[in-house]
Amino acid sequence: MPVHSSGPRLYNSIPFKHLAQVKGGRSRAVNVALNITPFVDMMTILVTFLLMVFSASGEILVTQKGLELPDATNKDLLRRAPVIIIARDAITFNNEMMADPITIMNDPSPQWKVPELYERLVAERQAFEVNMRKLSNTDPEKKKCVEEKPDPKPEELCLRGLAILQADKATPAKVLNRVFMTAKAADYKNLLFAVNRKGPGQ
Amino acid sequence: MGAAVGTDDKKSVNVDLNIVPFIDLMSCLTAFLLVTAVWTNLAQIKIKPKGQGQPSAAEPNPQEWVKASILITDNDIHVGLSRVQEIVRVPKDKNDYNWQVVRENLDRFKKSSFLQAPNPFANAIEIGAEDKVLYQAIVTAMDTSLAVGFKDVGLSAPNELSTKFTR
Repeated sequence: MPVHSSGPRLYNSIPFKHLAQVKGGRSRAVNVALNITPFVDMMTILVTFLLMVFSASGEILVTQKGLELPDATNKDLLRRAPVIIIARDAITFNNEMMADPITIMNDPSPQWKVPELYERLVAERQAFEVNMRKLSNTDPEKKKCVEEKPDPKPEELCLRGLAILQADKATPAKVLNRVFMTAKAADYKNLLFAVNRKGPGQ
Repeated sequence: MGAAVGTDDKKSVNVDLNIVPFIDLMSCLTAFLLVTAVWTNLAQIKIKPKGQGQPSAAEPNPQEWVKASILITDNDIHVGLSRVQEIVRVPKDKNDYNWQVVRENLDRFKKSSFLQAPNPFANAIEIGAEDKVLYQAIVTAMDTSLAVGFKDVGLSAPNELSTKFTR
């Protein structure tokens, strides 16, 4: 193999003076001083932002595609509970189809109950009570329920008879009233209306 | 975080901070926070089903006390107090409900002598809406009531409101 003279070398033939700190002008120094200040700045800003939006409770509620929630400024944090969803084309409970809002809207009868939803809500409440009874036998703390407090904090609300109502902002009051009356008849005493946070509130 | 002071020159006062652990920590934290971030900005308004059809032994009789009510119709909003039948009609401003005037009236009612102790319904308000009213208007009415200080917000059918509004 023929011997060639060496070709261009980094920091020698190509000095990269803006990157390398060549100590004392000696040609053999290969230390590279990268300016990581912008990187650290960016990371600090990103971490601060992510810490600000961090939610310890996680994602409790997922909004359906095409469902626009109403906006509100006074609000509480969400809780985990069974979800009734009133979309433009369907009323669902725990992702099971219950009724059609358009049918309800066009229904002239004075009927205020949504039968399928009522039966499902009653079954859900009874199942909850059976499980709660089993739990309360082992854990006396579970027996505590401050439902009767005049103004309980959201975290103190009794889980019995608690449901989340997630409805499109364009839902007519007729549909909402029927679902609401059905929940009331099924002994759901506290309903949490899911809303979009808007501006400063409580 | 390690630091090397004045490395090779006795007169040097430069300090080399070892920021590698800091960057490591930041990278881990960023990755964790990005994975666990919740981007949906949802909250809730607590509502109780109200109305005359829900008798409760524990609750005082609403017929004996003054209670605030709101009725939302297609064209206006009625704000009123039961028993004394003090009612204010707030018509729509162009196509939008005039929430500012509603709020002022609610504020006035809240400060009135009717809604003070010992009235057990001093912080309670019922909201009813006619069939074609949109959900956003109901939520805004609840939001306005909460902002004024009515902590116990209830939704009921328009014909079950304590205050009898004439439309």
